[in-house]
Amino acid sequence: MIAQVFLTLLLLVALTYAWIATSRAPAIGVTFGLVVLGGLYFVWVPSHAIAIANRLGIGRGVDLVLYVWVVFTILAILNLHLSNRALLDRITELARRIAISDAKDSIASGKTKDDPEHP
Amino acid sequence: MAENCWVIVPAYNECARIGEVVASIVNRGYPVAVVDDGSTDATAELAGCEGAHVVRHPINCGQGAALQTGIEFALAMGADYIVTFDGDGQHSTADLDGMLTPLVSGEVHFTLGSRSLGRAIDMPWSRTLVLRAATWFTRLVTPMPITDTHNGFRGMTRHAAQFIQLRQHRMAHASEILEQIMRSGLRFKEVPVTVR
Repeated sequence: MIAQVFLTLLLLVALTYAWIATSRAPAIGVTFGLVVLGGLYFVWVPSHAIAIANRLGIGRGVDLVLYVWVVFTILAILNLHLSNRALLDRITELARRIAISDAKDSIASGKTKDDPEHP
Repeated sequence: MAENCWVIVPAYNECARIGEVVASIVNRGYPVAVVDDGSTDATAELAGCEGAHVVRHPINCGQGAALQTGIEFALAMGADYIVTFDGDGQHSTADLDGMLTPLVSGEVHFTLGSRSLGRAIDMPWSRTLVLRAATWFTRLVTPMPITDTHNGFRGMTRHAAQFIQLRQHRMAHASEILEQIMRSGLRFKEVPVTVR
């Protein structure tokens, strides 16, 4: 019972985050929210997790939850990696545009020597 | 000497050698663009003092990103030929004309420097081993019959440069550029160069 209450509190925090995230990224917020609701359901009705696990040939309900969690974690890491990559590309492109623009300005103003303080 | 050829030198904290490298290129009559990749030392100032155009990344983005910036800058300056050259002094400007001749004659669109065909001076055996392994791997996964995969001394025509869009900002660009050359369907050849 103590574990159930503790897990429920944690999952409610996660559910709140999912609700907030829905306004910024609906697909991610809704998916995350559904996963959390699934977790809450299995915390309070573990016999259903066991039944589903048995049907899938996994054995224990806790193993089913663990496997699903691993899959979602991997997907989340992949999503983070792709987001990070896209952000890096945008930062690099911004740095490139600034660098080329400054260099062109320097040439246009007739400078041949670099003076970073006064580009 | 090729008309309207720009030499691109990506550099990060290379103040020990960059002045000498730029001066030797300028002495051969080529315009130089040093892409200072967010150096924290005096790389940009020294390169500028020797007559290079300095294209300065406000932050460190990686060698691949610096190369792409240099290529785009040279294209914007109207370059007909572009040569990339390392800023640490490992390449010799005596090889510049050799890199450009096959491009100017129209024989190929890309030239790739090869220390295996040329000379590698004082290269540690461990580095030789790593480079051979990298070359062997590249030949295994691509149909390119090349002898030196990680040589920053490369040449390209203006037309060819427009096919290069490096997205590997760090060192993986060396493999990426080979892949893009292969995909472009344009002609390339290796040119013997000396690497110190």
